[in-house]
Amino acid sequence: MTDPENLAIARCEHCHGRFLPHPGPCPRCGSTDLVPGVIPPTAVVLAATELLAPAAGWATPHRLTIAEGAESVRILAIGRTSGLAPGQVVVVRTENGLYYADAAAPPSAPGPPKLASPSRRH
Amino acid sequence: MKVAVSSTGVGRFGKRKEGLVELLCEAGREALDGLGRKPVDLLVVGHMAGGPLAHVENTVAKVADRLGLDAGAGFRIEAASASGAAAFHAAVGMVRSGRYDRALVVAGEKMTDLPNAEVTKVLAGSLAPTEEAHGATMPALAALVAGRYLDRYRADASALDQVTTQARAAAARNPNAQFRTPVTVEEVRSSRAIALPLRLLHCSAISDGAAAVVVEGTTGAAGVLGLGQATDHVELVERPELTSFRATRVASQRAFEEARKTIQEVDFAELHDAFAPFALIDLEDVGAVGAGEGAAAFRNGSTSPDGPFPVNPSGGILGRGHPVGASGLVQIAEVARQLRGEAGPMALPKPPRRGLAQSIGGLGSHNFVTILGNSGAARP
Repeated sequence: MTDPENLAIARCEHCHGRFLPHPGPCPRCGSTDLVPGVIPPTAVVLAATELLAPAAGWATPHRLTIAEGAESVRILAIGRTSGLAPGQVVVVRTENGLYYADAAAPPSAPGPPKLASPSRRH
Repeated sequence: MKVAVSSTGVGRFGKRKEGLVELLCEAGREALDGLGRKPVDLLVVGHMAGGPLAHVENTVAKVADRLGLDAGAGFRIEAASASGAAAFHAAVGMVRSGRYDRALVVAGEKMTDLPNAEVTKVLAGSLAPTEEAHGATMPALAALVAGRYLDRYRADASALDQVTTQARAAAARNPNAQFRTPVTVEEVRSSRAIALPLRLLHCSAISDGAAAVVVEGTTGAAGVLGLGQATDHVELVERPELTSFRATRVASQRAFEEARKTIQEVDFAELHDAFAPFALIDLEDVGAVGAGEGAAAFRNGSTSPDGPFPVNPSGGILGRGHPVGASGLVQIAEVARQLRGEAGPMALPKPPRRGLAQSIGGLGSHNFVTILGNSGAARP
C-alpha cells in the first residue's frame, strides 16, 4: 500500500517512462507493461500562475503550478500558497483525485547559541 | 500534381450579427466571385465547435445549399483551433489525388452568441480531462508556458508586450481585423490581468468570422509547396518540453521536406499567436531563430514588416481576432494574398516569393504548417 506521504506513479517497463497514474497504456510508447511505484511528495516549481479569470466554480484567484518531482515526473497542481515561483520547493498532496501544492516549509533556522550555564541577573 | 490557391475570401472579424452558416457563405461567395464562378466539385468546411457554440450542425450541406453547390461532394474537418488549416490540408490532398478538380475551402466560427464563460468552457474541451478537472483553462496553460519560457531563457516579459504592439500595428492596416487601433506598451501592461504573466492584451479575443480559399490543380504565385502536420500529447505535463511545441517542429520538418526548401528560403510567416508567448515559441519552432531567441527577434524589429523575417503582417490572431475555426485558414488566405499581390494596405515592402502559415490546435497538440510560393507560373 502506498505511503500516504508519497505520490503514486506508474513506470513503463518498455520505454522506462514515469508518469502520474492514468487510465490506459503508457502515454509515451503505448505499452501496457506498466508497474506502480511511488516518489517523494516534494517537487520543484517549473512555472506557476494565478488565474484571475478562472473557469466557473473556481474561486478567484485560482493558482496552478507545474512542478517536477523525482524521476522527472511532472505534476499539474492547484497551488494553495500564493507567490509560488520557479525553483521553489513544494509539497504535493492528492485530495479527491486532484493534486495540490503547498510551499515546503523552509529548513529550521538555527536557534540562539545555548548558554554554558543559566544566566544570573546582575 | 501541382496545386495552387486560385482565389480567396475573407470576411470581417469581430462581433457579427450573422450566424455561422452566413459567415461561411460570405467568405465563400467572395472566393467564388474571384474565380469567375468556375465550377467547384468539392466543398471542405472547417469549424471547431459549430454545434456547442452556435447550435449549427450539418454545415457542409447548409453551406453547399446556400452557395449553389448542392451537386458537389463535401467534408467537414475539425482540429480544434487549427480546423481551418486542417480543412485546407485535407482539400489539397483530395485535389492532388485527382479525384476532385477544384475545391472551395471555407472555415469559420461563431463565438459571440454565448457568454464568455460558456465559450471558455467549450474551448476547454480541447484540453486533457485532468487539466480541466484542476480548473485549467487555455489562458492558464498558456501562462504556465509563458512563465517557463521567460524563466528558462531569462527573457524579459517586455517581449510579450512587443508581440502585442506589433500585431496591433499591423492589424490597423487590415480592413477585416477586429482591432483596428494600435496599442502602446503601457496600454498592454495596464490591461486587466488574466493569468499572470498574461494580461488581456496578451490574449486573443473571442470573435466571429470566416475565410475561404479555392484550390485547384494549377501553378501560380500561391502554389502549395509543402504541407506538414503533427500531433503531440494533449496533457502539457506529458511533454518533455514546455517551451517548444514539438508538433510544430515536426510539422515544419515535414512541410520543408515536401517543399524541398529551408526556412531561409521563406520570406515571411503568419504564425499562431493566440497568446503572445506563442509567437516567440512559434518563431523558434519553425526554425526562423534558435531556441530562446524569439524574444530578442521581436524586440529588435526582425519580425516587423520591413525586417528580415516579417511575422503576421495581417495582424496575427492578436490583432485580427480569433474565431477559432477560421484562424488557420485566414492565415493561408493572407499568405496567398501577399504572394499574389492582393494584400492591399498590408502588402510587405519587399514583395515575397514564399510564405509560411503555422496553426496550432488546442494547446499545441495538433499543429499544421503550410508553405506557399511560386510553383511555376508568372505572378499575376
